[in-house]
Amino acid sequence: MDADPVAADVTGGRPIGVAIVDDHPVVIEGVRAWLASEPGLRVLAMGDDPDEVLRLAPSADVVLLDLRLHGRMALDKLAELSAAGHRVVVYSEHTEPETMLAALDAGAVAFLAKHEGREHCVATVLAAATDRPYVPPTLAGAMVGDPRPDRPTLSDKEREALLLWFQSMSKASVARRMRISEHTVKQYVDRARIKYTRAGRPAATKAALLARAIEDGLVRPEEIGIYRSQAQTDRPTP
Amino acid sequence: MSTESGTALTPAAPGPAAGALRRAVRLRAPGWLALAADGPADPSVASAVAHASDRGARIVALIIALAWHLAISLPAMLSAGPGMAAPAVVAAGWLVTAAVGVGSGVRLLRGGLPPARRLAAVLLVVDAAVVAAAGERYLFTAANWVWSGLAWFFLLVLWRRPVSWLLALLGAHAAIALGAVLGFGATAAADLTRYAMYLYGTSSLPVAVFVGAAAIAALARGRARTAAAALAVQAERDAAERARRERQDRLALVSGTAEEVLSALATGDADPADPELRRRCVLAAARLRRLIAESDDVPDPLLHELRAAADLAERKGVPIELVAVGTPPELPVEVRRRLADPLTAALADARGTARLTVVAGPDEVVVSLVTPDHDGPDGTGPPIADTDGPVEHVHERNGEIRWTQTRWRRT
Repeated sequence: MDADPVAADVTGGRPIGVAIVDDHPVVIEGVRAWLASEPGLRVLAMGDDPDEVLRLAPSADVVLLDLRLHGRMALDKLAELSAAGHRVVVYSEHTEPETMLAALDAGAVAFLAKHEGREHCVATVLAAATDRPYVPPTLAGAMVGDPRPDRPTLSDKEREALLLWFQSMSKASVARRMRISEHTVKQYVDRARIKYTRAGRPAATKAALLARAIEDGLVRPEEIGIYRSQAQTDRPTP
Repeated sequence: MSTESGTALTPAAPGPAAGALRRAVRLRAPGWLALAADGPADPSVASAVAHASDRGARIVALIIALAWHLAISLPAMLSAGPGMAAPAVVAAGWLVTAAVGVGSGVRLLRGGLPPARRLAAVLLVVDAAVVAAAGERYLFTAANWVWSGLAWFFLLVLWRRPVSWLLALLGAHAAIALGAVLGFGATAAADLTRYAMYLYGTSSLPVAVFVGAAAIAALARGRARTAAAALAVQAERDAAERARRERQDRLALVSGTAEEVLSALATGDADPADPELRRRCVLAAARLRRLIAESDDVPDPLLHELRAAADLAERKGVPIELVAVGTPPELPVEVRRRLADPLTAALADARGTARLTVVAGPDEVVVSLVTPDHDGPDGTGPPIADTDGPVEHVHERNGEIRWTQTRWRRT
């Protein structure tokens, strides 16, 4: 659903390499089956240890990471991978809004709830490979309900698009309700997501999302300037 | 995000426990009733009443003391004049006593109490000095004004203190007088009898007034406490009555639909096989279930009510995904009803699956239900008359989905 049609072009025809990190073999098999049905994707390595998997597939474009590995939350591992420039898509059944927002803060390119199906999974991986945002409905809910005082300031349209997308899970329905095109709905949702790149610690993946958003004309550079000046946490800490 | 789907939904807890009802009753009672209900535990109400009735006694005691001092003691002292052993000392004592009386009076009328120990000591010094200065000749006359007049001032300075303090002070007074009687050598039987009579005559009235005033204050305090307790009982009764009325109102809201369906079934006019009738049954049951949940005393009433409605739809075989983000603020029951009712009705119509979402912040709560569209009739709940209230209601079907949304915004 809503897969970016240009995703495959960006890698110049080369299939997108995916690494899967999960401690449940059945989940790995399932996700692999989903991704295998998409011609532009190739699963390069799988396993329950992020370091091991990345050693096997250092060139993976996207890492699908289960947030809970062997009983503990791998948020620090997520931050480490993101800082090193790996595009990590967090894939978890822990869909408390705080957890999802913390994953974004740590540098995850996207957050996918495990109950969200194949379409969202494929779309997220395709978007992530090209440093483009993809916001599944569950993540949209967490963003629109973000209670933190230092949350990014979203416009009314962006909020409304996130809310309706969360409720209906259908961009066509959101477009009808808001009387705008589906494309514009996606733009509002993606702009909201880009605004979240200023939350939390800086990470290479956040910079890449931002740069691609400017390149695509999704946000203007001067808007980024405003983000920077307001966000102390955006600067590297000594 | 609390995602509840499939069998994860638990049936809502049954009716409120007695304690919960009591808490709800307390909450619903208006402020002044709540205050009264706290009355028996809070002595301030009773003491305020006691204080008001004590004020009258203070004024009376003050008038007696000062009137006696001016109308009886002063003329007697002046007429005796230079015949006394030391008229200046007697006059000075009179002035000091008058000052003590006025000072205590001001304190008492302002609601406070005079410094008892210090003033009692001053009065005893005056007592001794005046008895000595009046001299033997005037010992048993009105010119020795401390005999009869001073006891009233004891009353003023010892106001609201234990009665034993007054008795002790009067005892000291009697001892000083006895000392004078013996010191002046007036030890004849007639003198001692006069002494005893004086003592009795000047002490009994002040003691009676003092004890009487204390008793009146205590009675008033008791009366006030009883009144507060009675008021609290009345408040509880009013609140319970109100809770009952609210329950009946809720019942009246649904009994129309439910009664109609049930009587049609009973008389055989309605066919249980008719899908439209089954839909009406489900709708009536959903409303009943939600209204029952409404009176439960739970931390998050809106979610609780929605869960109750979702629970019912689940039993009908519609898998429901209920996703809630954020914590709703405390909302009036009317607002909650407007938020939840359209969703309840839409849930009764749901076929296939249903996605129920709640996004809540301190100033906005949005509830939405999305189900696959089907050919069945539209939701037939009570028509939503006003859309300009605090809760906005949108319903649409577009061939793909049926989408019901209610939204409350803080105004």
